[in-house]
Amino acid sequence: MVIISGVWTDLRTMLLPPCLLRPHASSMLSQCVQSLARCHAGRTLHSQTVHFLQRRTLPVHLQGRGNRGHSRKSKSQEQEDTKTRNRTVLTYIAAAGVGMIGLSYASVPLYRLYCQATGLGGAAVAGHDTSVVETMKPVKERVLKVLFNADTHASMQWNFRPQQTEIYLVPGETALAFYRAKNPTDKPIIGISTYNVVPFEAGQYFNKIQCFCFEEQRLNPHEEVDMPVFFYIDPEFDEDPRMARVNTITLSYTFFEAKEGQSLPLPGYSYK
Amino acid sequence: MSTAMNFGNKSFKPRPPDKGSFPLDHFGECKEFKEKFMKCLKNNSYDNSQCRLQSKDYLECRMEHQLMAKEPLEKLGFKDIMDSPLSQAEKNDKPLN
Repeated sequence: MVIISGVWTDLRTMLLPPCLLRPHASSMLSQCVQSLARCHAGRTLHSQTVHFLQRRTLPVHLQGRGNRGHSRKSKSQEQEDTKTRNRTVLTYIAAAGVGMIGLSYASVPLYRLYCQATGLGGAAVAGHDTSVVETMKPVKERVLKVLFNADTHASMQWNFRPQQTEIYLVPGETALAFYRAKNPTDKPIIGISTYNVVPFEAGQYFNKIQCFCFEEQRLNPHEEVDMPVFFYIDPEFDEDPRMARVNTITLSYTFFEAKEGQSLPLPGYSYK
Repeated sequence: MSTAMNFGNKSFKPRPPDKGSFPLDHFGECKEFKEKFMKCLKNNSYDNSQCRLQSKDYLECRMEHQLMAKEPLEKLGFKDIMDSPLSQAEKNDKPLN
């Protein structure tokens, strides 16, 4: 802007005489400028408009003939410009719209990946394959302690307790643990159990091959049974950085009384 | 079990067992094997890797008495015990097989 104004000031000195041939336009313009000066426009604005107006008068002279053609060309060019500009804007908006639709379709597998990474939801857990048991190798360096806990619901009259308080094992090794349940009453009682693993994040690595949970177990009066749990901890436990400080896992079973005609909402487990 | 619909709280979602539920051993048919296993655990300060043979025996007993679906022991993670030569089995003097 400074350079341009400098250039035009030079040309102005050269072309000053022809400028005087059109006194009306320039006088009107200068009157406008002076009125601006009188207004609260500010001195800088005034000087800028002065420069601007002087610049504007010159190109018209330089062009000479074809004065009107130039303006018409600029108008149509302007129209073209606005048209192309509108078109590009519309294209961008359309692309953004298509992008949003694509993102909403892609969000399903992306969310699944996120669930796998963070362990939230628990439903989408990678690598929970029964064939893993055959091929897994125990990680002998990482010794974990598994604590066993047994609970019953308040109205459940069974005596339920673990037969060992703890077991030391390594990930990748299948282990057996026992609970004992006794029905001290004179009536047969049907129980159903569920389990919990603490810490929660370790729960996704805790795989039970076979246990006694989620199915109704019936105990006759004064009957006592051993209930085994056959489980293993996934060897990938050792590679998870969040599990680096976890050395104790607690497995907790809770027995509830199953009433006739009542069914617990089970996690994807189907009765036959 | 968390009942609140807090997405922020990580909650535990129990999973059903891979091979289903053990039928209850009402008649105590495999009680001796269980006792052997528990004794082994007590003697080895509850170290599971020392007592794998006894756990394998217990599961074999269950399979014998229809208390567990019969499966090759490799599938249950006992490949390392199986691979060791049969001299181990002979030493143990198993009543089964």
